[in-house]
Amino acid sequence: MQGLAGYIIRRLLWAPLILLAVSLVTFALGRFGPGDPVRMIQGQYPDPEQGQRIAEELGYNDSFFVQYWRWLKDAVQGDFGETLEPRGFQVKDVIFPRLWVTFQYNLLALVIIFGVGIPAGIWAALRQGSWMDPFTIGVLLLFTSVPVLVSIPVLQWLFALKLGWLPSSGWEVREFFGVEIGMMSKRILLPLIVLTLPGFAGVARYTRAQVLEVLDQDFVRTARAKGLEEFTVVSRHIARNALLPLATMMGFALVGLLSGSIFLETLLGIPGIGSYAFEAVSAKDSNAIMAIVLITSTAFIVANLLVDISYGFIDPRIRLGAGAER
Amino acid sequence: METRRLILVLGGIAVVLVLVLGGMSLALLGGGDDDGGGDDATPEAESSPLPERVQGELRLFGPDPLTLDPACASDAGSAEYIVEIFSGLVSFDRDLNLIADIAEEIPTKENGGISSDGTVYTFKIRKGVKFHDGSRQVRAEDFKFSMERSLDPRTLSTVGVVYLDDIVGAKEFATGEADEVTGIRVVNNFTLEITIDEPKSYFLAKLSYPTAYVVDEREVGDSDCFRGAEWTLKPNGTGPFKLEDWELGQRIVLAPNDDFHLEPKPSLAKVTYFLAGGSALVMYENDEIDLTGVGINDIERIRDPSEPLNAEFSESPSLDTFYIGFNTQEPPFDDPKVRQAFAMAIDKDVLAEVVLKELVVPAEGVLPPGMPGFNEDLEGLPFDPERARELLEEAGGVDSLGDISLLSSGRGANVAPTITAVAAMWEENLGVSVDLPQLQFGQFLQDIDEGNFQTFSLGWIADYVDPQNFLDIKLHSESDNNETMYSNPEVDALLEEARTEQDQARRLELYQQAEEIIVQDAPWIPLFHGKSNALTKPYVQDYFLAPFVIPSLRYISIAR
Repeated sequence: MQGLAGYIIRRLLWAPLILLAVSLVTFALGRFGPGDPVRMIQGQYPDPEQGQRIAEELGYNDSFFVQYWRWLKDAVQGDFGETLEPRGFQVKDVIFPRLWVTFQYNLLALVIIFGVGIPAGIWAALRQGSWMDPFTIGVLLLFTSVPVLVSIPVLQWLFALKLGWLPSSGWEVREFFGVEIGMMSKRILLPLIVLTLPGFAGVARYTRAQVLEVLDQDFVRTARAKGLEEFTVVSRHIARNALLPLATMMGFALVGLLSGSIFLETLLGIPGIGSYAFEAVSAKDSNAIMAIVLITSTAFIVANLLVDISYGFIDPRIRLGAGAER
Repeated sequence: METRRLILVLGGIAVVLVLVLGGMSLALLGGGDDDGGGDDATPEAESSPLPERVQGELRLFGPDPLTLDPACASDAGSAEYIVEIFSGLVSFDRDLNLIADIAEEIPTKENGGISSDGTVYTFKIRKGVKFHDGSRQVRAEDFKFSMERSLDPRTLSTVGVVYLDDIVGAKEFATGEADEVTGIRVVNNFTLEITIDEPKSYFLAKLSYPTAYVVDEREVGDSDCFRGAEWTLKPNGTGPFKLEDWELGQRIVLAPNDDFHLEPKPSLAKVTYFLAGGSALVMYENDEIDLTGVGINDIERIRDPSEPLNAEFSESPSLDTFYIGFNTQEPPFDDPKVRQAFAMAIDKDVLAEVVLKELVVPAEGVLPPGMPGFNEDLEGLPFDPERARELLEEAGGVDSLGDISLLSSGRGANVAPTITAVAAMWEENLGVSVDLPQLQFGQFLQDIDEGNFQTFSLGWIADYVDPQNFLDIKLHSESDNNETMYSNPEVDALLEEARTEQDQARRLELYQQAEEIIVQDAPWIPLFHGKSNALTKPYVQDYFLAPFVIPSLRYISIAR
């Protein structure tokens, strides 16, 4: 395990450098991209002198590196500045509640997608050759290929207008020990269905393909020949080997916990980070964009690390320690 | 046999997961019973999937406000909330009459409130008007503080000077040259005197804008339009409603101010705005909101008399004008004949009826219907392709034009159907070829400031009810807002005369004369005026579609 610890530390030491690079590029894109944010703020009231004052206050008058350095210095101390939309609030006060919302519905979706998708995939693979297999695959393919822009209105019509079971959109919280939880409300069900149907279908199809590949391997035949119980063969030998590529998939899904979906959040009225990211970019809200990009990048770094580590556990032959670096 | 056991286990896991997760959400929902059982339902066990509506609550699909600081609001989406939470000296009632708000009465020359030369306004402050927290009465110095805060260069408001620049000393204060606005004088606790630079009769109307509203000095601190907005989460206003809760991006909840100083007092028990988006029409149909506008995709269905929702639909004109602007300083559009030709090549009826499905009415001139001075007899340049081609020929012919560019702003999706329709009409009726560059809003405005355009598409919405707000602001040669750089000394003279003309009828006549010249000169092609529309649940009473942002919630009530 010493090698593993060293590996993790080395990876974590790289993280700040990656984040620095990401922040620099994002900052540059914001500053050199088209459209003057001050002009946008002024809208149809273009007073050049006032524009100058606003630019001064927001720090746009300094040179690029002075601006970046100031941002970096504050950011390292946890101060990400103020947002432009809504105007004048601390970035963290605007972003964290939204991150928490996105995290909640995505976490539930993630658990369902993998919790149901993997067993379903294995089940379908073991049914290969019977009519159940192509049938399941067909249904799954259908679910995966419907885009949310189509599924959301259809599901809204079905569950809200036709059946009257669910509210059409929105987000509602209950407070537990000072924490606002949205998972207890019916309003979370529609986004959950929208997310889990294609997600679950994708995972199930992928699992099935992986399992089928493993089923043909010699060691599976050997295991069966040894007279192991079928349950043991599937859980220890087949599933374990088939799961390895799925870990990568899960890693990317983890990133979704902190990024959310623009379409889903906008169409279903969920005050999460995805819809906000879109607003921030449209408003050229530099402080907000920087914070969102950094959070997503951090999530990527951590998720990748977790995936790498999980490889070691799923397949002990994979060594992440010093030896692997040579 | 073994496979079966495995499937059972896997299936079991799946079922348990679904039950646990799904069940958790459902079962814990206030112990709710989700399929409408339980006849003697308590409020918690309602059969509806929605939370119980509070008696007298109005639920709305709201715009996500940019700011609730009255000094900073430059957009209608923010002003919509601010006019309910805060208030000023004067305001507009539901019939668009200027009314006294915190002022005791509207100053006039007759009641001695306006000096004989028309430049000194004396406001009596209504006694007993308290801030929402009940701690203190509003006094004259609160107004001086609030208006100076809007003008203060440190506040960085984009609109402070725009609305208050008629006050003597306002410009000097706004540029940091003076320590106070000399034209705002506190006579005593309940008397405020405002001196303006010229006898402008539209000055009172400008005071109805949030920049002149009163804020509580004790809570705004040194916040400006870009920092320290936290106080607006629980602002201490004086308006008909109190802000009870603002969860950024989620919801705004208003509660009635029972001590409000005007009649009718608010009768709604609660107003909830949902800010997070969603599909407004679906929410309305599913009884989640009580009121919604209808967009172009649904308008035909709602207008169909056989549609049940049709009975709940209403529409009414709004005070705005959408137009094509020309760069009047550069060829080819520095030639009025070319501008007229392009204007006469557009069939506005087709735009309004076919392209926009009657969500708008065709515009003849600059002023929208409902605006004082609106000229019903005004005839705009007619749709006449033949005459248009003749004009173009006189001006040098199509071949001298090259590609015409029609600039619009957007987020990178398709260009608006009206823009494509205008371009198609120009191409078909004049034989020109038209480019449609679409720019992000900031870049769009920048290009227009710099004169870096041939033609563009834009709209203008009334800020206050006075023709000056359209004609003088948009088309006087020295106005910052004159994007087309239109300059006609005759028009300028008329507009300047109208600023200080004391006889209201004569004043409106001057504006009409100016408008007629403008329409013939065609720096703008006025395309259409918008209409606002709404679906309203039958139990929402006395709702009205305001043509622009005015405090309107206090007139509305809920029956049942």
